[in-house]
Amino acid sequence: MIQIQNLIKAYNKEIVLNIPELTIETGEIFGLVGNNGAGKTTMFNIVLDLITASKGQVISQGINVRESEDWKDFTGAFIDETFLIGYLTAEEYFGFIAGLRRLSKAETTAFLEGYSDFFNGEIIGKKKFIRDFSKGNQKKVGIVAALMGKPEVVVLDEPFANLDPSSQYKLRKLIKDFAAQNGSTFLISDHTLENIADVSTRLIILEKGKIVRDVPKTATTLQDVEAFFKPVVEADIY
Amino acid sequence: MNQNLFSLAWREAIRSAYWGKSLATTIGLGFLAVYFSLCFLVFGFAIPSILVKSFPNSDPVSKFNSIILAYFAIDLIIRQLMQKLPTVSFKPLLLQNIRRRKIANYLLTRSVFSFFNILPFFLLFPVTFTLVASTYSGLSTLSWFLSIGILIYCNHFLAIYLKWRFNEAEYGFFIFLAGLLCLFAINHFGIIDLSGGLGKLLDLVLIYPALVLLIAVLPVLLYFMNVQFLSSRMFLNLVSEKQKAETVRDYSWLNRLGETGRFIALELRLIWRNKRPRSLAMMTLFMLFYGFMIYRAQPGNEIPGFAFILGGIIMVGMFSISYGQFFPAWHSNYFSMLMCQRLTMKQFLRSFYMLVTVISVICYLLTLPYAFLFPKIIYTHLAMLLYNLGINIPIMFWAGMYSKKRLDLNQSVVMNYQGVSATQWLGALPLMLGPIALFYLFKLVFGETGSFIALGTLGFIGILFHSAIIDFFSKQYRKHKHQLIQNYKNS
Repeated sequence: MIQIQNLIKAYNKEIVLNIPELTIETGEIFGLVGNNGAGKTTMFNIVLDLITASKGQVISQGINVRESEDWKDFTGAFIDETFLIGYLTAEEYFGFIAGLRRLSKAETTAFLEGYSDFFNGEIIGKKKFIRDFSKGNQKKVGIVAALMGKPEVVVLDEPFANLDPSSQYKLRKLIKDFAAQNGSTFLISDHTLENIADVSTRLIILEKGKIVRDVPKTATTLQDVEAFFKPVVEADIY
Repeated sequence: MNQNLFSLAWREAIRSAYWGKSLATTIGLGFLAVYFSLCFLVFGFAIPSILVKSFPNSDPVSKFNSIILAYFAIDLIIRQLMQKLPTVSFKPLLLQNIRRRKIANYLLTRSVFSFFNILPFFLLFPVTFTLVASTYSGLSTLSWFLSIGILIYCNHFLAIYLKWRFNEAEYGFFIFLAGLLCLFAINHFGIIDLSGGLGKLLDLVLIYPALVLLIAVLPVLLYFMNVQFLSSRMFLNLVSEKQKAETVRDYSWLNRLGETGRFIALELRLIWRNKRPRSLAMMTLFMLFYGFMIYRAQPGNEIPGFAFILGGIIMVGMFSISYGQFFPAWHSNYFSMLMCQRLTMKQFLRSFYMLVTVISVICYLLTLPYAFLFPKIIYTHLAMLLYNLGINIPIMFWAGMYSKKRLDLNQSVVMNYQGVSATQWLGALPLMLGPIALFYLFKLVFGETGSFIALGTLGFIGILFHSAIIDFFSKQYRKHKHQLIQNYKNS
């Protein structure tokens, strides 16, 4: 469970994120959509204590992330490619993260085997450094590394971007399966409404740092969200 | 157009988080520049009388001409180590309506404004007026002056051409050194009199001033060589040069050392697989020979105490100083990922400490043969080893908290010139000058041998408390992490 209380982030008095109250329940796949500059990445960075909030706090599983580091034990994250170590091969990188998450070698191999379909034979066993991977394959490495050690909280910023169409479908299933098996809470943002509406159990629309919609998933979620983002002019034509 | 490119470079400089710090380094470099300019000026005025005194039987002007090649050779080496190459992030420019040649021209134009092209004139002016102008006609003097000026720019364009080349194949520098050594030998043993040849040419310029036009062809040729090279490199496939099938070395045996071992394995991979730290490591090996330069007994002159400090700190501590002054920026590319993991900062500090300790001890053992020259090196180097581990490393940890500049390891070597200029040596100065200052301070109280013991003891105390120091700094780094993340993002 993640609780956000009175959260404000401002740069030079310009408020970029303002969330008075938000509770994300355990096991929820929490989808975040919003146009550029809405504050999605800022919110994730604050949840991961990578940037400091101007006001308010984030409490992850009962731990205030500003005050203790214990949240790192149960949190996996992938924000962007700066989360990867470019001069390692994919296996070495997984090995390094596995070590930090106290997974044995056998556990790591078994874990990675489960994602061989997602990797599509392009990641494991290649004598290639991550810095030489394509953007999409780098993303796959980062996402899977974030899932290592069965974290209770997983933060993924735009995981579907840069992935090819079939990988996007695979990733939808992968996230849903992982959440169902481990009961993990997911925080996901994306710009492809179809993906995010499919994968999440609750959707939030951020606009200029404020929550403007907060809906549980229903059959019409996608249409609702699409209607929100569609330009008004187009609606007038019909 | 060029104006646009220049304003781009200016904005890139002032808008990076590094700006404040680079201002400080610029001031530091400025002081050095003034110092060297004054040295050259004074030396320039002294040259005529030195030449007359040392070579009473020969014409001082042609003597000066005949030794000028040695200056150019040394200049070329110094430029390789110190001169900054102009860069431009050309990727966004490629799609614009700018010719590749234009970008190359811009880069080369910018490179001309280098201190290394101004410095020799501080020597050249006094020599021209006091030595040459007094014996030769105005026209001869002018063409002589121009010839040497042109040769300075030849050296400039040759230097940056080589530098661009070496940047792609780092072994080039050592081949270049070996080549220079061969030329030196050829010249020294009189097989071909190279420096005399250049001297004769310059003598001829004084007689036939029109020859200067012939010399002027040289820099033009070199300039176009540079343009050619640069234009051929401005392609994206060369920017993200694909790795050839990597020979991936296995460091898994280090895992037996537990958590710290895993981090050491990461550091080793970092050093081995990225150009910049790799050349630092190679430089460390190279520096082991520094002793032959500094530990040379002059008859009648004793080696001053500070030479042992400098020799010790450079030979034993080269790696830790050159690698450690950029701690933790080596990991800046993925710093925020590390900050999402548990306990990493402490592990990082500890693994860095262990790695440096092992390498420094190896360096110490490798320098022990110098004891055949001076037995006291056994304890002077030991004192420096202890001092470096006990005092210098905590200083570097402290400085690292305020580290500002991201080191871009992921960039391929083309157009990646981070860490090839004089700035990278500047940060090392306090670490080397500190023990020298302390040495003289302690010497007043304890005498020379006692001073070495005091320095060693100081270091030993630092080593005793190393785990407390690491604990302290890992807490400090945690406090500074948001600032560091922001700095690395903005630089």
